[in-house]
Amino acid sequence: MATQVFKLPESLKGDVKYSFCPGCDHGVAVRLVAEVLDELGVRENTILAASIGCSVTIYDFINVDSLEAPHGRAMAEATGIKRARPDKIVFTYQGDGDFASIGLAESMHAALRGENITAICINNTTYGMTGGQLGPTTLVGQVTTTSPTGRNVDYYGYPIKIAEHIALCDGTAFSARVSLDTVANIKKAKQAIKKAFEVQIHGLGFGFVEILSTCPTNWKMSPEKAHERVRNEMMPVFKPGIYKDVTVQN
Amino acid sequence: MTECLTNKKVLTKGNYAIANAAVLAGCQCYFGYPITPQSEIGEFMSGKMQELKRGYVSAESELAAINMTIGAVSTGVKAMTSSSSCAVALMQEGLSYAATDELPVVLVSVMRGGPGLGNIYPSQGDYFQATKGGGNGDYKLIVLAPSTVQECVDLTYKAFYLAQKYRNPTVLLADGLLGQMMEPVEFYEYPYPEIDTSSWALTGAKGRDGRIIRSYGPLADDRCVFLEKLYAKYNTIEENETQWEEINTEDADIILVSFGSTSRNVKTAMKMLREKGIKAGFFRPITLYPFPSKRLHELSQNTKKFITVEVNMGQMVNDVRLAVNGKCPVELINKGVGVPPSAKEIVTRVEDLL
Amino acid sequence: MSRIVIDKEKCKACYLCINECPKQLIKISNDTNKLGVHTVEFNDPDNKCIGCAMCAMRCPDLAITEVYRG
Repeated sequence: MATQVFKLPESLKGDVKYSFCPGCDHGVAVRLVAEVLDELGVRENTILAASIGCSVTIYDFINVDSLEAPHGRAMAEATGIKRARPDKIVFTYQGDGDFASIGLAESMHAALRGENITAICINNTTYGMTGGQLGPTTLVGQVTTTSPTGRNVDYYGYPIKIAEHIALCDGTAFSARVSLDTVANIKKAKQAIKKAFEVQIHGLGFGFVEILSTCPTNWKMSPEKAHERVRNEMMPVFKPGIYKDVTVQN
Repeated sequence: MTECLTNKKVLTKGNYAIANAAVLAGCQCYFGYPITPQSEIGEFMSGKMQELKRGYVSAESELAAINMTIGAVSTGVKAMTSSSSCAVALMQEGLSYAATDELPVVLVSVMRGGPGLGNIYPSQGDYFQATKGGGNGDYKLIVLAPSTVQECVDLTYKAFYLAQKYRNPTVLLADGLLGQMMEPVEFYEYPYPEIDTSSWALTGAKGRDGRIIRSYGPLADDRCVFLEKLYAKYNTIEENETQWEEINTEDADIILVSFGSTSRNVKTAMKMLREKGIKAGFFRPITLYPFPSKRLHELSQNTKKFITVEVNMGQMVNDVRLAVNGKCPVELINKGVGVPPSAKEIVTRVEDLL
Repeated sequence: MSRIVIDKEKCKACYLCINECPKQLIKISNDTNKLGVHTVEFNDPDNKCIGCAMCAMRCPDLAITEVYRG
């Protein structure tokens, strides 16, 4: 008798069809978040503050109460939700542009205040939904539609290492960077997402996971090649790892 | 200011009156960023909300403050933010979102001089900002304009009620004069019924599917349906909630129109003109949206002239002209910024216009 | 007998699962779905599938909906 070893998470809406481009890692990240909500048994007590960008579509797929925030303000709205309803599990799902460019003040201050919120940030080194422009995480040398000859630091400055910055905030309980380039790393990513929710549940402070992801459409690469780029170009700069975990330090 | 939580009459500043009324109205969360001349509101709230185990955040910016308020009210509780002029400008994006998401945000806007950084003198230069909005798209905010410290209390209660009743962001539009002025006021229990928010609030999808509060509609047709519905709501608000004060208007040859703190001297000027044998009337919009256009139009059938008195370069005068629609002349007496013109000065300037 | 279930209407033909399968049991199909793309298909005549679920973990579009091991 065969046993079922994989099924779609119950925290996803029934018969979900993602609107992401073929091969986009957003789909994996959304599934991992849903699996974590299932495992923690918190779907019915969770509120999402959605963002702007491809990441916003998560509310069409995940079956939780959701509030759409203006660009960059998901963390402020999440703060308002959490202060009004401290008993709820509150999380954001944002892109790097939303979290670390237009919303950097909101993100850093939520971490500094130690808001009991979980933030998931997709880092794909570009603004995906608007067609692949230079963003806060665009790698040095990377060609985008607004860095046509590559990111030259004299002209464009440097990319931000988000997980490291969030780890420096005293209110942060957990900060990690993970990758979705291999199945082994997908499993690690899920563990990190789970930890980022657990620190919230235990009231320890801000939980954060930066997820290195692909944007095959705007990178103009096959999904397979896009994962090679994550390994060969992104991971040497954005090193995966756990940058802060108060449950270990204490 | 803790003594204000009683029902006795106390002498207090407009800013404290607003803050204390908000607490009594059941405001569960306050989010704000300091700016003169309304900083006392946040100062009062920081202590009081902690004491009552409610929510208070010193937000990192006004952008954050308005969005924190949106987040809090989306869960069905009463919440507010407060700010002033150049900083309310930063909240316009959030107000547009709150209007289209139909969220009962309460914003206390205590006007100072503008444009730009402006100054900290009293002003009514943000009539347009409040009633016409700086956010994108077609939307309306309910706007209430107190003229006394007691009305700061009364209309703060009303702001929370109307915001929840219509699921619409509501602005209490005061100014630096009212915010800093001390008058005797009476606090009383929140006089309005509590609104049931359970049919739409985000409370966690217990035993049901998740709700989404959003404005994004991928299809143009859907947006039109939505906007028509939104405007049907605005029509209802206009029919039910338009509020104004009028004195001696029935036989008036000229009607002085003014709102907020400026209207106090205008009311006195009207009486002085009457004593001089000039048939003057007084009209004060209390709701700036919905604007009492219908009543002004009725009055225009029998009066000879309207004169609006404002501390700005002439903003509300436009709405009076639209309401009167050419039936009689509408003149403006104004001062750009600062303490409103005295009753005596108003009388002189009215006489010049006759 | 281990096996996977593919919802071909959800497959967007990224083909990431093909290289993920340690037994090379997933191939590009001759058939197309409503999106007009050649989907993947599971082809395991010799019952080689080990039910590792690597393909499902990799699939970004929830197109591999169930995996059974046994």
